[in-house]
Amino acid sequence: MIVADLSIADFERCVARHGLPIRFGPFNLRIRSDLETFTSVAHRLYAPYPLFEAQEISDFHVQITRPRGLRGWIRRQACFAVDGHFPFAPYTVEHAFPALEWGINWCVATRSHHLLMLHAAGVERDGHAILFPASPGDGKSTLCTALVHSGWRLLSDEFGLVRPEDGLLLPLPRVIPLKNESIKVIRRFRPEAVMGPAFLETRKGTVVHVQPPEDSIRRAQETAKPRWLVFPRWIADAPLTLTEIPKSQAFLMVASNAFNYEVLDQTAFQLVIDMVRSCDCFSLSYSKLDEAIAALDDLSGRVDA
Amino acid sequence: MLLLPAGTRLIWQKCDELYFVYQPSSTETHVFNETSATIIACLKTEPLSMVSLRERTETALGLSIGELETEEFTFAVVRLEELGLIDFDDEPIVAR
Repeated sequence: MIVADLSIADFERCVARHGLPIRFGPFNLRIRSDLETFTSVAHRLYAPYPLFEAQEISDFHVQITRPRGLRGWIRRQACFAVDGHFPFAPYTVEHAFPALEWGINWCVATRSHHLLMLHAAGVERDGHAILFPASPGDGKSTLCTALVHSGWRLLSDEFGLVRPEDGLLLPLPRVIPLKNESIKVIRRFRPEAVMGPAFLETRKGTVVHVQPPEDSIRRAQETAKPRWLVFPRWIADAPLTLTEIPKSQAFLMVASNAFNYEVLDQTAFQLVIDMVRSCDCFSLSYSKLDEAIAALDDLSGRVDA
Repeated sequence: MLLLPAGTRLIWQKCDELYFVYQPSSTETHVFNETSATIIACLKTEPLSMVSLRERTETALGLSIGELETEEFTFAVVRLEELGLIDFDDEPIVAR
């Protein structure tokens, strides 16, 4: 059963009462909300995601709800909570959906230490994955969105989840938040992409969420083997360059980009070493998505050949 | 004399011309060049004076005696000592 099987009325009832039992990749979440500003967007953008059975365990109980007590009637706010704790200041009620999405990211980043978590986008095709470790603002979400609308499967736009047992990547194909200039870029690049409403003046500027292609969500339990590490950087008007970089440099960049390298100690060290050794490592500078995608298609084509 | 601290265990991985070294006791990852890695390797067998350590390092690196830059050697020894990867007991770290 998927979210789209629920009518909007059933969806609202489910979210308001016991919580929506939704599966995002390796995580089961139970989402509660009493806010129409959340449910109206979530019903549409979460439509292709699977629901899990009642007897399955929830990894996170999250909620985005109006404040408790009098405040809830006076202030039009949305409060994020996980397992009953409220880690953040309230958001304006109009930003309930992005607030929940950021909250889920926070839950994954701070509580999933059974996996090595790289701050990286990831895509896959023909069994080979590209990881894009990058800092905020380097354009990894934009590039990732363009790629998954050009024949690549989305693993994640934010988390490179590495399973310690075998070094394989676990997909976490969540909705992709585009910010500011990226929104126009993707609207021009793929007008047919399923996008949510624009949330103006959030803590990160204007944000629009893109629904991943259904194939990526359907195949969210298929692991992928990392084959390339590509460090992207969007630079205005820059010519395309895809340059191989030393593995030692890649090691430092991956290790310093991990959310929990220090937590996993020697396991993280070995996983990053193994990943860097088994991947070809590149630095990518680009200004035009078409050129970047062609270059990455060409890279993957060399393996096929 | 310079020596490795008792119980030092390091996990080494070579990548390109660099050594990535994980130190379980501090949970830190270090990046060493050939000189630093060789200094530690030379101290694995026995404690050495600064002069002997420098000579052994030069030999292991395939250099002639006196060929290793004093600045490079001293910097590496001081840095390794700061990281707790080598100890010195009675001799100040001054390369001759």
